[in-house]
Amino acid sequence: MSAVPAKSPVAEALPPPLVVSGVGKSYGEDEGEPNEVIGDISFSLASGEIVSLVGPSGCGKTTLLNLLSGLTPPTRGSVLWHGRPLRGVPKGVGYMLQKDLLLPWRTTLRNVTLGLELTALSQGEREKKAHSILNKVGLGSFHDYYPSALSGGMRQRAALARTLVTEPEVILLDEPFAALDFQTKLILESDMAKLVRSEGRSVLMITHDVEEAVSLSDRVIVLTHRPSRIKAIHEIHLDADRGDMMAVRDSPHFTGYVREIWSQLDVRMGNR
Amino acid sequence: MPDAAQPGLTLPATVARRRRGLRGSQLRHRVAVIFCQAALLAALLAAWEYATANKALNAFLFGSPSEIWGFLVKMWSDGSLMKDSGVTGLETLLGFLLGNVIGTVLGLALWYSRFVSRVVQPFIVALGSIPIVALAPIVIIWFGTGLASKVAMSTLSVIVVALVIAYKGATGVDDDQINLMRTLGASKWQIFRKLVIPSSLGDIFAGLKLTVGFALIGAIIGEFMSSSEGLGHAIFKAGSLYIIPKVFAALVATIALALFLSFLVGKLERFLMPWRKPD
Repeated sequence: MSAVPAKSPVAEALPPPLVVSGVGKSYGEDEGEPNEVIGDISFSLASGEIVSLVGPSGCGKTTLLNLLSGLTPPTRGSVLWHGRPLRGVPKGVGYMLQKDLLLPWRTTLRNVTLGLELTALSQGEREKKAHSILNKVGLGSFHDYYPSALSGGMRQRAALARTLVTEPEVILLDEPFAALDFQTKLILESDMAKLVRSEGRSVLMITHDVEEAVSLSDRVIVLTHRPSRIKAIHEIHLDADRGDMMAVRDSPHFTGYVREIWSQLDVRMGNR
Repeated sequence: MPDAAQPGLTLPATVARRRRGLRGSQLRHRVAVIFCQAALLAALLAAWEYATANKALNAFLFGSPSEIWGFLVKMWSDGSLMKDSGVTGLETLLGFLLGNVIGTVLGLALWYSRFVSRVVQPFIVALGSIPIVALAPIVIIWFGTGLASKVAMSTLSVIVVALVIAYKGATGVDDDQINLMRTLGASKWQIFRKLVIPSSLGDIFAGLKLTVGFALIGAIIGEFMSSSEGLGHAIFKAGSLYIIPKVFAALVATIALALFLSFLVGKLERFLMPWRKPD
């Protein structure tokens, strides 16, 4: 397969799909002793861009993701989707977690069509789309299986298919590959990178895995401890096929990025 | 049978075998369990028979397996066994269905509104703590001495349990799962229909298995209070006349009825939840 372009040329004139400005979140403000989880975070996600947020464990990454997907409202600041302030759960956003969240009573195919059932598509169109995306993630012949008969990697592939089938402009990922073994992870990351880059989708990924962040992303944002703020932003330029996680790891600058980000992560050993 | 429910499903051999759960060693294990169960029952019956035959146990007060068998044969040949079982079975089945449908629908519906569920919670607890026997006199007055009062007793024994179990199932759905549905654009009703109801099925079926017994108890209590037929009536009458073996014979029929109804629920479960691996 030839090298996939790093950025798709479409939609340069439109406002970026996601703009986060001055967002913060505190819990328990009413009780007088607020627990500030997110201090002050601002960044934007351009169309067709893959951005990773990395931070020390417990830095409120998942809280941040819930803020961006409209599941919880921020205490301060604003989240703009396509220039419009976020109200409720935005449309055109895919959401994928470490847990595959497949419904055990549905076959792989019917799990993938779930998101489409909430649209106006007919059943025939839904299944056609689902079959096509299952083929792309390599699960074509497993469409009739219940999740209980699939391996961990296959289940996560099915979850990826369910996320992509609704053709979201932006995909939010919360450590999607953290539960997989290293080989499965590399293959799945490569497949995902090829798919989302060829289709020009934007991805915002939250991860604690620095190598994963560097190998997949155009930009890596490093967060501080709680209350989290942005510590550094790295533009990742790697001279390799960005859809091949092995090739990316072999490229000359890879290790440099990983080392630098690691040193900024401020990982405290022992007592925290 | 999960495989039969999905025509055209081709599973790798290892998966198919695991699903049917009948590898050689497992089969042997199951046969051994059944053999030991049969042996235990036979030993118990033999000891009982021996003790009554040797006057170690008073046969008048305790009956004996052979006399019980004799009554079972007699009740079978005069048709009363099937008739009484049929009457009690019908009462139980109607009460079981009614109680579970009403209880499950209410229990699931409470998922919809946290406010309403908080409001009604103490009332449910209060209703659940009423001994059903205590309601029997009122139920007889309200519903008469026929089928309706037994069905009402049976329904009342089931309804609160079914409600609590269905509510527990509905509120036990993974929050991440609900968030996923929300990001897919699902409305509350769609989340309820596509996620909450199927997720609760496992709990609901556990409730069905549990309430088969409760429904039967309700029907029998109803028959004890006032009736002219049914297994409860047969037990009550034989007990009043000190025909202990006949009491036991009717009890055996009651147990058989309970097992049969549980068996039907198990069949229904496997039919409605084919994705589940059998235990």
